[in-house]
Amino acid sequence: MITTTSSRMSVIGRVLLYALLLVVLVITFLPFYWMILSSLRLTGDIFSGRASFLPARLTWENYPALLQSTGFLRWAANSLIISVGGTGLGVLLSSMAGFAFAKYEFRGKNLLFALILGSVSIPSLVTLIPVFILMTKLGWINTYRALILPASVNAFGVFFMRRFIAGIPDELLDAGRIDGCSEFQLYYKILFPMMRPGLGALGIFLFLGNWQDYLWPLIMTKSEKMSTLPLGIATLYANQFQIDYGVIMAGAFLATVPIIILFVFLQNQFVAGLTQGMGK
Amino acid sequence: MASSRKWAPYVFVMPFFVLFMLFFAGPILYSMGLSFVKWNGIGAMKAVGLDNYARLLKDTTFHTALKNTLFFSAVYVVSLVTISTTIALLLSSRLVRFRVFFRTAYFLPVTMALSVVAMVFDLIYSRDIGLLNLILGTLHLPADIAWLHSTNTAMWAILGMRLWRASGYYAVIILSGLLQIPREVYEVAMIDGASTLQQVRYVTLPLLRPVLGVVVVMCTIVALKLFDEPWILNKGGPSNSTLTGLIHMYRNGFLFLKLGYGAAISYALSAIMFVFSLLEVRATQGSEA
Repeated sequence: MITTTSSRMSVIGRVLLYALLLVVLVITFLPFYWMILSSLRLTGDIFSGRASFLPARLTWENYPALLQSTGFLRWAANSLIISVGGTGLGVLLSSMAGFAFAKYEFRGKNLLFALILGSVSIPSLVTLIPVFILMTKLGWINTYRALILPASVNAFGVFFMRRFIAGIPDELLDAGRIDGCSEFQLYYKILFPMMRPGLGALGIFLFLGNWQDYLWPLIMTKSEKMSTLPLGIATLYANQFQIDYGVIMAGAFLATVPIIILFVFLQNQFVAGLTQGMGK
Repeated sequence: MASSRKWAPYVFVMPFFVLFMLFFAGPILYSMGLSFVKWNGIGAMKAVGLDNYARLLKDTTFHTALKNTLFFSAVYVVSLVTISTTIALLLSSRLVRFRVFFRTAYFLPVTMALSVVAMVFDLIYSRDIGLLNLILGTLHLPADIAWLHSTNTAMWAILGMRLWRASGYYAVIILSGLLQIPREVYEVAMIDGASTLQQVRYVTLPLLRPVLGVVVVMCTIVALKLFDEPWILNKGGPSNSTLTGLIHMYRNGFLFLKLGYGAAISYALSAIMFVFSLLEVRATQGSEA
């Protein structure tokens, strides 16, 4: 008797559970569906008549139109350069500084560390105006430098790598020293292979942040040629009298696909980084 | 060798430190200084003491922006934590199979950039050609609302797209916290006759408090920086109903080139973020943590 009620309960529980999970799943996918669907429709068709879950006429035309008549490819190249540059530099700087803080004793260490720690509580938005002024003075507005260099400074990255490197045994470094490695060889011969999971987790977050950022490129670039994808696609939206939704949705889809692929392949590192406090 | 060990750490720290001073710590101080002057970037700077801050108190547009931002943040944080925790609880159930599939799927919205989300949802919220009104119409509900263009609904519409994008992301963080709670704790509770809901209330949530605390602080800061979607979609409108603190700062600092006043706004916003984070840390990491 008891077993039947409890098993019936668990059947009801299971059905309810999956029903809820499915509802969330549908809500999650609907905007993706709408984006892809709209990217396959002519803007004229989108505007004429009522909306429909399964429109009659679908076409690829928006994709060639996007690539030929907008700066999409240029924006994609800019996004890639900035994201790869900012991420690569960010990961390098964070891991080097993290190494120094984790494995060395040096004069001024605590002071330096306190300075970096203290600055974290101040949101980066107060740096927008002064960095803009600085970039203007340097004549760096509308250059890759203006987008890559500030983005590579990430105090959380230093803390994260410091903690990660602290977990690597000192004996390994000492063994390397006995084998005649210089301190820099220690970094790239011994440490680098060991800290790859940490670099991966940090790298993914920096990459995501760089790829998706809107405000910084908005401030630091002046011409459409230097736009990144999020900014460029938004200008398509803002510039026109009648918004060309079909083309914009094609751009939206193509701008998102690389991150989806990246995530599906690297999701374990993604989640690991997320749960170790990198998602800030 | 011993000497290289002495100067090596400086070489390792130096590149980060130089850029950190140049693009972060330095600007923070410079910005503080700017907030006490009047300057358009070209002419001479004029020291005005606390005038910029005094002006914040009188600037009714700033008050609107602040009210909108705080309203958005409060509703966002409460709903997000509720939704994400619920999703995480569902996913953590022992009855769930294909957990990795669901986790992956729920995480996908965060792969979309905020500006992209804004444009996709513009097409979802559209009155005549939008998905939302199509669904509401199918369900025989009122389907004649221009969600993003009415002062009553615009901020809620932005809230909706933010929640869509972030819920799965935070659910994954909370889920990892949930999965770290040892199973024995639940077994003890079950022996004591606790129902599933009681277990959640008296076992799971208290043990989850530190993780939830981190999530609350993280998403409060994100919410107080709301900018991309209301700016792209509405430039803060209609009639300032989606104007946020950061939009007000952007306008003053970068469009009107009131650099001093812009800096003062950015400091005011930062102070608010700081206070909220502090209060939330106090509240969530209190006695039980």
